[in-house]
Amino acid sequence: CQKSFLDVPVQGQATTATDPNLAVNLVTGVYNSLFNGEAFGGAGGDIHGISFIAATNIISDDAEKGSTPGDQPPLGDIDNFSVTPTNNFVAALWNGYYGGISRANQALAALQIASLAPTTKNQLIGEVRFIRAYYYFNLVRFFGKVPKVVRVPNDAQDANTDPAFQTRAPIDTIYNVITQDLQFAIDNLPLRTQSAVGHANKGAAQALLAKMYLYRKNWQQVQTLTQAVIASGQYSLVPDYSIIWRYAGANNAESIFETQSGTFNNSDIATAGYCTWQGPRVGPKGGWTDLGFGFDTPSQDLVNAYEPGDKRKASTIIAIDRTGRGLGTLLYDGFRIPSGDSVQNAYYNYKAYASENKNVEPFLGNRDQKQKNIRLLRYADVLLMNAEAANELGQSAAAIAYLNQIRTRAGLAATKATSQTDLRTAIWNERRLELAMEHDRFFDLVRQGRAAQVMKAAGKNFVAGKNELLPVPSLQIQLSGGKLDQNNGY
Amino acid sequence: QTATIRVTGNVTEKSTNAGLPGVTVQVKGTTLGTTTDGAGTYTIQAASDAILIFSSIGYTSQEVAVGNRTSIDVALADDNKTLNEVVVVGYGTQRRADVTGATVTIKGDELVKQPVLTATQALQGKAAGVQIISSGQPGSSPVVRVRGTGTALAGTAALFVVDGVLTDDISNINTADITNVDVLKDASATAIYGARGANGVVIITTKRGASGKMTVNYSGNAGFRLPANLVTMANATEYANYVSTASGNLVTAGPTSTDWYGQILRTGFQQNHGLSISGGTDKSTYFLSAGYFTDQGIVIDNIYKRFSIRANQDFTFNKVVRAGFSASYANGNNQIANLNTAYNNAYRAAPIIASKDANGKYGNTSVYQNVGNSVLDIEKNNNLAIDNRLLGSAYLEIKPVSWLTYRTNLGGDFVNLNSRVYNYQFNNDTTTFITPGGNQRNPNSNLSVGNTKTFHWTFDNLLTFNKQIDKHSLTVLVGTTAEQYTLTSVTAFRKDVPAAQNLWYIGTGNANTSTNDGTGDKYTRNSYLSRINYNYNDKYLLTATLRADGSSRFPSQNRWGYFPSVGAGWLISNESFMQSQHIFDLLKLRGSWGRVGNDRIPSDSYTVTVQPNLAYPFGGGVATPGSAITQIKDPNLKWETTEEFDLGLEFSALKGRLTGEVNYYDKKARDLLINVKVPSVAGDADGVVLTNAASIRNQGLEVTLNWRGRISNDLTYRIGGNATLNSNSVIGLNGGQPILDGGIGANQQYTTRTDNGQPVGSFYVLQVLGVFQNDADVNSYKNPAGQVIQPSAAPGDFKYQDTNGDGKIDDNDRVFAGSYQPKAYFGLNLGLTYKSLDFSVDVYGNVGNQVYNGKRAFRQNVLDNVEKTMAYNRWTSANGSQTEPGANSGNLPASTYFIESGSFARINNATLGYKLPQRLTDKIHLSNLRVFATAQNILTLKKYSGFTSELVGNPTSQGIELNAYPTTQTFAIGLNAGF
Repeated sequence: CQKSFLDVPVQGQATTATDPNLAVNLVTGVYNSLFNGEAFGGAGGDIHGISFIAATNIISDDAEKGSTPGDQPPLGDIDNFSVTPTNNFVAALWNGYYGGISRANQALAALQIASLAPTTKNQLIGEVRFIRAYYYFNLVRFFGKVPKVVRVPNDAQDANTDPAFQTRAPIDTIYNVITQDLQFAIDNLPLRTQSAVGHANKGAAQALLAKMYLYRKNWQQVQTLTQAVIASGQYSLVPDYSIIWRYAGANNAESIFETQSGTFNNSDIATAGYCTWQGPRVGPKGGWTDLGFGFDTPSQDLVNAYEPGDKRKASTIIAIDRTGRGLGTLLYDGFRIPSGDSVQNAYYNYKAYASENKNVEPFLGNRDQKQKNIRLLRYADVLLMNAEAANELGQSAAAIAYLNQIRTRAGLAATKATSQTDLRTAIWNERRLELAMEHDRFFDLVRQGRAAQVMKAAGKNFVAGKNELLPVPSLQIQLSGGKLDQNNGY
Repeated sequence: QTATIRVTGNVTEKSTNAGLPGVTVQVKGTTLGTTTDGAGTYTIQAASDAILIFSSIGYTSQEVAVGNRTSIDVALADDNKTLNEVVVVGYGTQRRADVTGATVTIKGDELVKQPVLTATQALQGKAAGVQIISSGQPGSSPVVRVRGTGTALAGTAALFVVDGVLTDDISNINTADITNVDVLKDASATAIYGARGANGVVIITTKRGASGKMTVNYSGNAGFRLPANLVTMANATEYANYVSTASGNLVTAGPTSTDWYGQILRTGFQQNHGLSISGGTDKSTYFLSAGYFTDQGIVIDNIYKRFSIRANQDFTFNKVVRAGFSASYANGNNQIANLNTAYNNAYRAAPIIASKDANGKYGNTSVYQNVGNSVLDIEKNNNLAIDNRLLGSAYLEIKPVSWLTYRTNLGGDFVNLNSRVYNYQFNNDTTTFITPGGNQRNPNSNLSVGNTKTFHWTFDNLLTFNKQIDKHSLTVLVGTTAEQYTLTSVTAFRKDVPAAQNLWYIGTGNANTSTNDGTGDKYTRNSYLSRINYNYNDKYLLTATLRADGSSRFPSQNRWGYFPSVGAGWLISNESFMQSQHIFDLLKLRGSWGRVGNDRIPSDSYTVTVQPNLAYPFGGGVATPGSAITQIKDPNLKWETTEEFDLGLEFSALKGRLTGEVNYYDKKARDLLINVKVPSVAGDADGVVLTNAASIRNQGLEVTLNWRGRISNDLTYRIGGNATLNSNSVIGLNGGQPILDGGIGANQQYTTRTDNGQPVGSFYVLQVLGVFQNDADVNSYKNPAGQVIQPSAAPGDFKYQDTNGDGKIDDNDRVFAGSYQPKAYFGLNLGLTYKSLDFSVDVYGNVGNQVYNGKRAFRQNVLDNVEKTMAYNRWTSANGSQTEPGANSGNLPASTYFIESGSFARINNATLGYKLPQRLTDKIHLSNLRVFATAQNILTLKKYSGFTSELVGNPTSQGIELNAYPTTQTFAIGLNAGF
């Protein structure tokens, strides 16, 4: 035979050499990783699915595991702080976030050699580095120290021998990665109005960097960066809080960064499982077609935390009718959830609700990818960060002003707090309610140094010095040949 | 110049004068040959000065010079010089006596009597060193492991060669069409297949016509299949009792007690019919056959049907040129039951829920315990796969001079597979269920259709030199082969397709929901092969082969592999010093060494590919397609290489009554293509990278013994047995990590570990020490430092070994607990003939392996059902069990509790036949007529408490019973008739 007989290119799959648009496509692929939500520690990993929901909301005092008591015990372990290093949902987080970081590293490598106009190239690099920084920020909040992976391994040998892949870098090192990524993004990304909807922009990078400094207690930087976002004039609070999480509120004036949703290949495309896992679940008496698995249910503690007249409560929590009068619960799209005896849990997360009524919101029938944008950063958060920084820096007047912007929209009177301590408590409490079920509460408690106190008060089995962080997945420790160290107490 | 003449004749058995069917008649020094028909007659084209070799298993071969005769009758003596028979070796044939490698021949007649789909399944227990693992699922092909598991990730399938066509699957071949199955076991025998030889080679030779009178043969059987070895689940009362204790809530049993397995299993009907016509003239011979096989599975809605036809024809143009072809077509129609879901659901579903009521409404297990109704799982899904397959080859043979043969062979294997899966629409309301609710529903019907076409061609060109000078006999083969495989597949999907079956086409669905996909594959191989056979004075034998294989599946720098082998044999019985003894008729010692390869990996394994269609909808609307590189690839992938040393002793003693063979082998596979796990931080989506890392060693001993005896002229018997001892061990991971595999889900992410010094896929779990009897027990279980090891345990919970003594139970406490690799497997074949009656029994078994009871491990809801034995044997403070836990909610960690012995012995087949005496068959103008009753899997002795310990799977996760098809029993009656 001729020598070329054995030169058979791979069929049906593009290679790095045959895809002319590789770099740009890989950048889109990085955004696509925001959708990852693998349920059970599978290979795909979880970025914004149930594992994320569990490690941010269920773990906190704002939410319970939900569903039936026997359903998914490992999620209950996260809720009760009896989580172990073999917890499959925790493993899924580790897999998911590093999978996303790898996509970012692949895209960055391809961008380095892509023939694109310098501005375009730097903008794409900035977007990718923004997402990578976001992923590292979540990783340090979940696990503390984590491996610093900023390049693509050449092969398995490389992946299994380079110490960078096998050991955890100090937290400061990871924060440096985040800072540098975000600073590059700030320097190279356009303002919101000059960039296409859904892409990371300058304001998003500034807000995220401010948030990182919040965790570092670098109040000056928090204030500077949030002030820049505020002063940019690109954002404002929308008058109606309830609209924010609906389809109609997608990418509105308050949005700084959110996952997008839409359609692809004649199907809905969005974060995998986000709505289904949190959808109201049918209960003992049955009689209706439920909307999901009923996890991440708002806690009674959260329900009780709202002041009377707080408009945010009804927009955050679907309260199941337990009056015994069979009234049911009518949702904004006209969907009526029957009363308590047909529903598994007492409360559900309204912020995770997407309508199946095609006249109200688009829905092609893929329940696992309902067209729901997850709001990851919004202007209210920036205002509250600014308020917190101002208060810590002794500028209580500025703090009170921003705090009251939030309270006013919620239909509440101005804050009565004046002292730095009272104001601090007031801001913390406002963060809880304004951002309830938005995946920040637990991290806030840890950063504020009161996780143990609040969790114990909420009746949870929290061990100080241990449960601030999740355990490093045992499988990953084994794969590193034991070089990956475990968090304290696990 | 000599003329080619047509020679006909009868071959009879010397002692009885009865015609001998199936005798190989070969023209010496050529590949020209035929077999005798049912009456023992043959016709062959041969040169007028040629020598004919008559050979058959169990008879002394004879060589007869044609000497211009056109009629030659031969009587073969019933002597057991089996080694004189001609056997098929790669790219040619050889006298068995001359073979220096380890090969085994099984006659088609021995296989066809079993009511099973494939010849491979019927091979079980028939040959030492050949392990057959069969799932019993209709339409499925069993796993063939020759001399242990020598690979972890690359394909483990043996290579099948059907009339010269290389293939991986013979489920399309009608067993009734098979003359012989030859299994090449050691590397010196398989090295001629180079990169495809490492897993053993199974050569299938189909029947060919003989010139002379037309013969017509019918063989058929029909019978029933029954589920065997079912696990009995708790009934409603036992369930309510167990679950009330486990959950702490009172569960009461109503009048309903559902046996879920009883609801989805049934007695199935199976039948197999084959009709063949063969005959020919001196210029051409033909063999035509048609077969029809149906196997109604024991699961409701499950049925497999196969229709097959074959035409084999040979033409002799003149004494120089011959040509011929073999062609087969098979249509397989497989109505697949939705097993994976239904089986687990049947195990878990509560017996207090009805499966279906009188109005056809289903019981709602989903609303009760979050488990689907398994009857509904099956009935609301219609999954049909239809494959059409053409497999055949054509050859042209030119023999310009007596010592030189040129043969060209073109083979093709074309498969067209159509699949159609329809899921009915149903809601979780009272239109479907007795009680509404739960999450088992399908709001929109949907239809997926798929079409996969593959075409594989092989083109061989071979030159054979054959020369005998004095006591030196030399055969030299040189050749080249090329092959190409292509695959294209497309799938389409739409929702809202109406429920009427005549509307199950994509066009009737909702176009707004349509999606489609498609892909392809292509690979090529190019090889050069050579073989030398040298025989000195029928005493000393030497075989040497060398094959060079090039495969497109490897990067260009590693593309070519070289596979040499050498074998030597010593026919001790032909030595002069043996002539004075009267014990051995034949004694042969042989030894060989060879190197073979394995290239069975996906074609894209070394190329970094881009995963497309990872889209993102910026600003909503229709998303922009994106892509990602989600796999790390090894750019230096190369062949897996297996080197094997084999030492064998073959003998025939006591005038052929006792024959046997002993083989020792030592097989080391290195550079094994294996998925090395990489940490998630490396960014490989599935967490594994294919690379050449591990080495595996299989060492073993094979013993085969056959005894043939005659008690009187009316009563003869035979007893045959074979046993294989195999030791499998990973001898080096060479920098790779241990492979963790076999995940069940939930709390059992992995259950096996493939690691140094252990067999492939060894179970790696927590060691159960006992059951905590009371709180004091829990509190007193401490490590040396005084920490209570399981503080949250309750009485009735398992006490696990704190292997590392760190005071807690976690993955670091796991221990190795055996593997699915058997330490030994054996077959026993008995036969008895009394006058016209014949009776045979085949036994197969394996010992020393472990299985993992995945069904128990999968139990995950407190309301899940339990096995009846678990309900009764569970720990209570009264019975103080140390082996069964108290009532629990499932979700237990992987432990030795789930590991059970996989040893079993089974009567594979028992057949009783009656052959009508010749005077009666003559009256009804038949040449022969035999009726028989046969039973498959009559009795299985096993320790395993689950459904079956025969489990098909990948080497690193084999032996986990989760979705296995239950063992079936078959009882059938059949008929063989010749006209």
